[in-house]
Amino acid sequence: MNDFAEIENELKKLRPVEPSPAIFARVEADLREPVGRGKIVRPRFQINWVTVGATLAAAAVLLLFALFRFNQSTPAPLRAAASPAPMTRSTIPPSALLPAGTTQVVYRTEDEGLLFPSGSEQPMRRWRARTRETLRWQNPATGASLRVSYPAEEVTLVPVYGQ
Amino acid sequence: MKDREEVMDNVAAHEDWKECFSRLAPGLVLFARQWVHSVADAEDIVQDAFVKFWRRQHDVGNRGLLYATVRSTALDLIRRDSRRARREREASREDNHTAEPQFYIEDDSQRALAAALDRLPHEQREVLVMKIWNELTFAEIGDALAISQNTAASRYRYALAALKKDLLPQ
Repeated sequence: MNDFAEIENELKKLRPVEPSPAIFARVEADLREPVGRGKIVRPRFQINWVTVGATLAAAAVLLLFALFRFNQSTPAPLRAAASPAPMTRSTIPPSALLPAGTTQVVYRTEDEGLLFPSGSEQPMRRWRARTRETLRWQNPATGASLRVSYPAEEVTLVPVYGQ
Repeated sequence: MKDREEVMDNVAAHEDWKECFSRLAPGLVLFARQWVHSVADAEDIVQDAFVKFWRRQHDVGNRGLLYATVRSTALDLIRRDSRRARREREASREDNHTAEPQFYIEDDSQRALAAALDRLPHEQREVLVMKIWNELTFAEIGDALAISQNTAASRYRYALAALKKDLLPQ
């Protein structure tokens, strides 16, 4: 016998209010409707255009810097039998920026409940994660740095399995 | 009266949804009322969730999924209608005398118990409702609420302790 047996018994004596009889008729009417009609609406996959735009902009910036670095580091004609000199502080051009780090901070996750995607045999749980990604470049010679930060959003569907 | 397992077998076999629904509906409506104070809104939620669930022909032996569907439908309803959400928040702050009763009250002790139940934190009350009036296991509650079985059990114990303390002050 646990410490809460008495309070559990008292709770079980409370009877929930019965739903109205009309709900049975409404459920029956809904069940008779062909699938696809009535109130059941499948959730649509929504594209967040702001996030897409920010991501594309960040990708474009990355590409530009990659090209910039490529142009900067195009070597002079190689001499035979000479191993390439290591990139040292003195050999880095003053305007070169090297990737210095990437961070991704997840500042919010949200359980958006169950979905019933069409064509799926099982329900899915939708998780939405909002993050801020920061890319950083730095010139080790001069200490100059560039930082690009943009918001991102990731929606994950996780299958829900029965017991 | 048929026992619960037999009823659930019928649901799983898609035989007599009315009998199954009549058995489950009071607990489901009570569960839905954790988010909406109006009985009519709670019934709408249960109707949508049950129909959605039934049409998908899930194994209703997985009761956690049915309650997760009710919860998800309730949260969707609140998200869709911000004015409704504001009304619900205001209603929850109002005196409970104005709210439609959730239980048939037979005496003062039951009235006090129902009032104490209303004062519980939401996450404890929903676990209590699922356990006491819907007879879900902690594993099923965990599935429905996306929490661990141990967390569900802890919330249940906290809820009972809070009720005991509320009703039987030392």
